[in-house]
Amino acid sequence: MMNFRLVQPKRLVDINRIAGLGRIEKTERGIRLGALTRHAEAARSELLAENVPIVAEAMAHVAHVAIRNRGTVAGSLCHADPSAEWPLLVTLLDGEIEILGGDGRRTATPAEFFLAPLVTDMEETELVTGIHLPPHETPCGMAFDEVAQRAGDFAVVAAGALVRVEDGRFAEVRLGLGGVSDTSVRAAALEDALTGRPATAEAIEASLALTVEDLEPNDDVHASAAYRLSLVPVLSRRVLGRALERATA
Amino acid sequence: MSDRTHITLTVNGEPFEAYVEPRLLAADFLRDEMGLTGTHVGCEHGVCGACTITLDGVSARSCLMLAVQLDGGDVRTVEGLGTTREMHRIQQAFREHHALQCGFCTPGFLMTVGEILDTLPLRDDGEIRDALSGNICRCTGYDHIVKAVRALVNERDGVSDP
Amino acid sequence: MTDTTAYIRPKYVGEPVRRLEDPRLLTGRGRFTADIRLPRMVHLAFIRSDQAYARINDIDTEGVRAMPEVIGIFTAADFTHIPEIEAPSKMMSYQATACPVLAKDAVRYVGEPVVAIVASSRYAAEDAAALIEIDYDPLDVAVSARDALAEGAPKLHEALASNVILERTFATGDAPAEIANAPHKVSGRFNLTRKTSMSTEPRAYLADYDVGKDELTLYGATNIPGIVRDEVGRLLNLNGNQIRVIAPDVGGSFGGKGSLYPEEVIVADLARRLERPVKYVADRLEELTASSQAFGEEIDATLAFDAEGHFLALDAEIIGDIGAYSIYPWTAALEPVQVASFLPGPYKTPSYRGRVRGVCTPKPPTGPYRGVGRPMAVFAMERLVDLAAAELGMSPVEIRRRNLVGARDFPHRIGSGIIWERSGFQECLTAAEDAIDLTALEAERQRSGKWIGVGFASYAELTGIGSRIAVAPGMPMNTGTETASVRIDATGAITASFGLSSHGQSLETTLAQIVGEELGVRPEDVRIVHGDTAAGPHGTGTYASRSAVLGGGAAIKTARTLLTRVKQVAATLFDVDPERVETGDGRIFVRDTNHSIDFRELARVVYADMATLPMEKRETLEARETFDPIVGTTTSSTHVAVVEIDPETLAIKLRRIVVAEDCGKLINPLVVDGQVHGGVAQGVGAALLEELKFDENGQPVTATLADYLVPTPAEMPDMDVLHIETELPDNPGGFRGMGEGGTIGATAAIANAVADAVSHLGIGINSLPITPNKLHALVVATREPNGQE
Repeated sequence: MMNFRLVQPKRLVDINRIAGLGRIEKTERGIRLGALTRHAEAARSELLAENVPIVAEAMAHVAHVAIRNRGTVAGSLCHADPSAEWPLLVTLLDGEIEILGGDGRRTATPAEFFLAPLVTDMEETELVTGIHLPPHETPCGMAFDEVAQRAGDFAVVAAGALVRVEDGRFAEVRLGLGGVSDTSVRAAALEDALTGRPATAEAIEASLALTVEDLEPNDDVHASAAYRLSLVPVLSRRVLGRALERATA
Repeated sequence: MSDRTHITLTVNGEPFEAYVEPRLLAADFLRDEMGLTGTHVGCEHGVCGACTITLDGVSARSCLMLAVQLDGGDVRTVEGLGTTREMHRIQQAFREHHALQCGFCTPGFLMTVGEILDTLPLRDDGEIRDALSGNICRCTGYDHIVKAVRALVNERDGVSDP
Repeated sequence: MTDTTAYIRPKYVGEPVRRLEDPRLLTGRGRFTADIRLPRMVHLAFIRSDQAYARINDIDTEGVRAMPEVIGIFTAADFTHIPEIEAPSKMMSYQATACPVLAKDAVRYVGEPVVAIVASSRYAAEDAAALIEIDYDPLDVAVSARDALAEGAPKLHEALASNVILERTFATGDAPAEIANAPHKVSGRFNLTRKTSMSTEPRAYLADYDVGKDELTLYGATNIPGIVRDEVGRLLNLNGNQIRVIAPDVGGSFGGKGSLYPEEVIVADLARRLERPVKYVADRLEELTASSQAFGEEIDATLAFDAEGHFLALDAEIIGDIGAYSIYPWTAALEPVQVASFLPGPYKTPSYRGRVRGVCTPKPPTGPYRGVGRPMAVFAMERLVDLAAAELGMSPVEIRRRNLVGARDFPHRIGSGIIWERSGFQECLTAAEDAIDLTALEAERQRSGKWIGVGFASYAELTGIGSRIAVAPGMPMNTGTETASVRIDATGAITASFGLSSHGQSLETTLAQIVGEELGVRPEDVRIVHGDTAAGPHGTGTYASRSAVLGGGAAIKTARTLLTRVKQVAATLFDVDPERVETGDGRIFVRDTNHSIDFRELARVVYADMATLPMEKRETLEARETFDPIVGTTTSSTHVAVVEIDPETLAIKLRRIVVAEDCGKLINPLVVDGQVHGGVAQGVGAALLEELKFDENGQPVTATLADYLVPTPAEMPDMDVLHIETELPDNPGGFRGMGEGGTIGATAAIANAVADAVSHLGIGINSLPITPNKLHALVVATREPNGQE
């Protein structure tokens, strides 16, 4: 942004060296990722692999080696691209964004934090210090997938799913979608409809039409709204199906 | 304009200090202030990979960093890899396989290859292609680059070339 | 005593000699224009138009006058002494455009330079740019070529009669009548959208003026240093001996660095005015909006054929969206007229009519780009060929076999007048077919239900064009000769100089192989000088697949002349007949004798030792010869692409590309394969990814490399390159040009492969690049024939 002179800050603070901002740790509330956690570190983290394996799966889609080495969780969240992986992950995982400002600390849910493409509810004096990923009931299965024009490009559409099965029925279903709205969204109608239904591929298939309800993606230089919408049920089926397999494996 | 900031850093093993404008890009610093013009600027927005260096052993886009962020760091550029008389093994492999034509993107590829050989299994050519996909070459069609990296991976893994 | 019979003469031509340019390029020791820093150097930045077509009312530079880092601010009013850049042509009905070095009264594309700012650093120059305000009055404009062509469309250049600045028709026989009476015909409207060369090195120029000598040196990322020297000299009123253009290491061009740009003229002029070195390095945004662009054509074409699949007639209407100005020196005719002249392709089609019109639009000028016109021509023709095959239920290979010019038909004149010389048209098709297991692919398609497609594309091109044919139609400039000079200096070292300009082609290696083989020295002992106008009186550069044929031919001819002199001297020394003297591996010797010296000794005898040779035997150890292939050579090829499409996401995966090509004798097989691979990658870009898009106001919407997508390693398939050597062409080395073919064939082959993969849906692929997004629209259209969703 600065290289194009789209942003010309008078002061720029380098937070790269603040000790502890890049830590991934287990807390009483779940898992906390410091703002400076690099994509590559998240992909390698054993703690994340054990608890939220979808993170590593998603990180494989983030840009390329050198970008994954430098790019951070907070950078991705604050950039608030509706196609990006981290906004989708915190939306899917009911994460909380931890913010430090002149008035002290606060947290924001993804719905509160992401206002529009490239717009967040951050004040100028605020800083994202990390994210909390709350624990989820186990065993569950997760899966991530996306369609991009080339390897590492921003997703045309991205989807992440979390599925928990009890007694052969969906006890919990979460489906997050990126690239189809101003922000990452959850497919609430599908989640509600599937919960309690028999945990089968057929049930997933029957629910897919609900994924595109209320979605109004935009046409842009990369893809038409119609193409994006066509991908939603396809990716939803793929991630829900894989998550189901993993939940019952 | 703005005040200058004092930085100290190690570049290709040599210690340096400098006073830089806070907005100076790391790539411009290396090229214009240090005279290390092997690091090339191809897009200035982090897509083409020609400016790839390593900072503290990890690859980074020097067009997406400021010179002040190099403070205290250990920087490696293509000039630190090998010399014309004594090329690094990666450079030799690129020559043997004709993995460069105009040579503009090459320094970025070499720095990336150095890292992925250390960090990734690169089990097949598809994995090599994925690992290299952050670097754009417009001359070679990548075929010979993939062959050079395959040869290096085989050497690393003690596998003889088929 | 040396056993001279041991000196066998090694062959270098045809060997995978390791490149001599590699050590510096691999170690960061190359020298590209942007790498050069000179004392007192200042930096240039441009303010470019953000309007497609507008009148310039006012330029307010008040805010920057006080900035200490700013050395000068220049507008069109400061360059009234420089004539406008105009590309002349002998073509009938052609209108040249007048392109001022900075926009004068009006801007005609987003990206056109309007203000030049010189400052102590590029950062400061851009700071100043942000403070300068330009007041524009937007003008009515037709953005698309079709709209600009329409009756009453607003004119982009008021001085011209219309937006159509060139028109030409090729005709052999009466194609419309033949088509009307033909038993079968297929038609289509084909589009190849605009793209750009996207060399990884942005354009860069640095001018250094020696005020004491009144000499200007212009370093530049260009592949036509000689043409730049001649024209910048003319525009600035400098003699050729006062201006030297040096292309140091150049990071690719593919045509984008192959025209004269206003920025080069401005840098040169300002260095003289300011008496300081002036440097300009384009950023990627400028590359994507203000370097020459490619393609941008639409063809309505019909192919008629009989029941056996023999082609009868071809008819085409071609519209070229040439952009705002007709580029120097090639003119805007280069690309679209080549579409019309190559459209009949490598086939025997008795009747042809092709009309082409070039239309000015408010977009960056189009210029040369790898393949020039032929990617579009071959895409349209090869689609028609596949459509014809489908109509007859014939295989794509069979219909090509029936129509390709056969070995006994050469020379063959096609409907546009191009004459094909003997080349492996049929042989390449056969080799390509043999390399692909069509049966296995068909079985996989049946078994798996995958959307798998196979596409063939055959083409021929003229390469290494001589003086009888202009590279660009009507261009009054000789591009058909190449002069080499080869000399042995006082140390016995060999230097060969050319007017060529290598920017990735490996000429420092391949020409050294040729000179080395001819003279009998090792390639690494031959220094090749190129990309420097001081190296010879005339030269135009490297483009149009000319360097191997013309440069190689000149190298052979010149080295042979020099070798004659070497043998004369040695014969005197050895007191033998010159015909008995041989050379090899750096030695000059007479077989089965103890006569043997090296080149250093030869040089010593000629230059230093004035006692051994009588004066009349002291040959000049330098030769200069010009080679002219007169017409040129025919290079032919067939490409095959295999694609697989995900039926749900419509993601297109390229599985394999096979290239079978006849480029004559290979100078260096590694280099040839590399050229083919690189060409194919750009064909992959043209077919699947790369597209410059403009909105309805002429604003570019693909101005970063995140929006203008080029292939990365992950998008490229495995490639097989098969070299077919038929009868060698009639030039000294038996070489054919081959640097562009990859782009020409792959584009069409991939289009045919995608069309094959979706043939069950009845979708035609008529517009490239074809993306999943566009494919989706086509699929939806077939499901909803009334356009309702």
